[in-house]
Amino acid sequence: MLSRLPFGTQKKLIIGLFVALPLLLLLTFSYYPALELIRLSFTNWDGMSPDKEWIGLQNYKEVFSNPEIFGVFKHNIAYFVVGIVQNIAAIYFAIVLNSRLKGRYFFRLLLFLPYILNGVAVAYLFGYVFDTTEGSLNYMLGKLGLGSETSWLGTGSFVNYTLASIGFWRFMGFNMVIYLAALQSIPSDLYEAASIDGANNWQKFRFITVPNIYKIIELNLFLTVTGALEVFDLPFVLTNGGPAGASQTFVMKILDTAFQFNNYGLASAMSVVLLAGVVLVLSLQRYFLNKGRD
Amino acid sequence: MNKKYLLLLTSAIMLTVLSACGGNNANNAKNGNAEPTNTGAEATAAPTASGNGAEEIKGKIVFLTQRTDMIGKEFNDYKTRFEEKYPGVTVEFEGILDYEKNSKIRIASGKFPDVILIGPGIPNSDFPKYFAPLDDIPFSDDIRFKDLKAFEGSMYGISSGNSTVGIVYNKKAFEKAGITEVPRTLDEFYADAQKLKDAGIVPLASNFKDKWPLDAWIYDVPTMAGGVSDHQNKRADSDAPYTLDGVYGQSWSILRTMYEKGLLEKDIKSTNWEKSKKDVAQGKFGMYLLGNWVINQVIENGASTEDIGFFPFPVDNSGTAKAPLNPDWFYAVNKDGNAAAAKAFVKWMIEESGYEDFAGFIPTLKSKEPKLPQLAEFNSFNPQYIEQGPPNDTATSIQNAAQIDQGAVVQEFVLSKDPQSVLDKYNKIWAKAKKTIVK
Repeated sequence: MLSRLPFGTQKKLIIGLFVALPLLLLLTFSYYPALELIRLSFTNWDGMSPDKEWIGLQNYKEVFSNPEIFGVFKHNIAYFVVGIVQNIAAIYFAIVLNSRLKGRYFFRLLLFLPYILNGVAVAYLFGYVFDTTEGSLNYMLGKLGLGSETSWLGTGSFVNYTLASIGFWRFMGFNMVIYLAALQSIPSDLYEAASIDGANNWQKFRFITVPNIYKIIELNLFLTVTGALEVFDLPFVLTNGGPAGASQTFVMKILDTAFQFNNYGLASAMSVVLLAGVVLVLSLQRYFLNKGRD
Repeated sequence: MNKKYLLLLTSAIMLTVLSACGGNNANNAKNGNAEPTNTGAEATAAPTASGNGAEEIKGKIVFLTQRTDMIGKEFNDYKTRFEEKYPGVTVEFEGILDYEKNSKIRIASGKFPDVILIGPGIPNSDFPKYFAPLDDIPFSDDIRFKDLKAFEGSMYGISSGNSTVGIVYNKKAFEKAGITEVPRTLDEFYADAQKLKDAGIVPLASNFKDKWPLDAWIYDVPTMAGGVSDHQNKRADSDAPYTLDGVYGQSWSILRTMYEKGLLEKDIKSTNWEKSKKDVAQGKFGMYLLGNWVINQVIENGASTEDIGFFPFPVDNSGTAKAPLNPDWFYAVNKDGNAAAAKAFVKWMIEESGYEDFAGFIPTLKSKEPKLPQLAEFNSFNPQYIEQGPPNDTATSIQNAAQIDQGAVVQEFVLSKDPQSVLDKYNKIWAKAKKTIVK
């Protein structure tokens, strides 16, 4: 039947059919709930009642005026800081493991493996590492004579850095693999030409490697920034936001607002704000990274 | 080109069907009272018939349970026994995790199993929208907590079991520390805790980090301290519900004192609940301040029954033993489901299943004695039981509006250098939220 139609129509039909299905799924399961979320953010729905009263911008006012809600963002700073260090380390390892090092495939695998582990499993695992009285970290430090009494997950001033360091362990390998792929796409004659011109290793890195993997650095920073803003599983499992709220993140706050305090309207507004925040931070990042380029 | 329109049409239809799913349910919930559907009519007719005889009790019922660990084990046995008694009925057990959240979503959708468990999350005024009144279940004796899940004179929930809160302790650990008799006053309690500490045992496992084990200090210790259980509701009348000389201050100060004297875990900010059960079982930790439900869990973790004891927590120096009595989950029956059979099932669960003994609860039937030996020991101290009263929606609404997580408040209170400033901070938030709720 199809073969009787002209070729152009056939092509359009096939393309249309192939695109329609994923598009339909995307609209139903991604865009419709997102729009529903935005709609709920203007109501005071409690999660149970059949009527959802429209209260306008009140939820948004609450999000921005209540320091209890917005203040938790400062806990995410630790994840940013560690995220930057993580990217630097990833580039370093990618360059090292891109050279003709003996056993480089083994080391690549070794560094990438943590990424495959399930997030909650990783959290449990590190629960035992960071345990104050019987944790392996404190045991090791004790044996080295460095003091074994540190409460890694119980000290408000650095609990977020402790948690972020787990993220470092887990995602560094992933960043590294992306950098590796980018490094391998740089033609080696560029380096040869540079060597002939007498460039040293740092100059090669600065003027050949970095410009060539610039887009990839941007991508990795994107992943780091969104990851830092949306961090959830580690503090949820390991500290439950403690001690006294010092490691609570924005996503945990959203969860509490919805399911503990039955305020789905406010929680939706917080989610929308988070979404907007991510978009904003990324636009700023793109603007500054692309300034003076192209 | 026709195909293209056809495709658009189908997608449009699919989407409307999908979105209609959501919309209809909301309508159902809204109009549930006004227009009884077929099943609804059956359900309302059933109660009058069920009093006369068991012949109406037939069909299939589903029980949504939180005890996923009992599925395929004890529940299989319950199914056989119940279906033997009521040959026309098939029972199915559906287990879900994170019960409170998930069940709420299903109840709100209007489509949920015939027998469901309800906790504190649903306001009493919403009960007639979803559940059938259970006043006509002919229990063989008076039951506890009749009024807790009631609205306008009808009872909608029956407690599946009850628990009290006190000190669960390892007798071997007490022996090792040279404690011959359990403490009857708060001073004796501190002294005994010190003895445990001197013997190298962690006196009281607070499980501070996990927050929920602190619930006893929020709900039960204040009840014992004040002698009445409505302190959480009373907060609705006050602009400063958390004061140092009030029941909360009294309760939390005990925990703070324990912390300052080093009578809790070595690092209370890094505690491990699962491990603490093993430690209490092995006598490395001396005591828990928790509900009696924990006793069976400690025994499961390797303690022998005779080594674990239970006594009322001496909240002050008066020497009179007091204990709260709290309900667990409540059985509720879907008003649009197979209500007659569901009610028979609830009655059977309370009177014959043996679930309360399995779970280590104090039975809901007033005349039934608990089987757990530790509860017998507990009762030998003759504690004055204080029954939990119905919750007050106003206090809950204020707390939700203020976004006060009382567990976190206790944590802050204990860890802070200046506990008064912590109370002041939360009183301020409370007063602000109260203005928006109580007008």
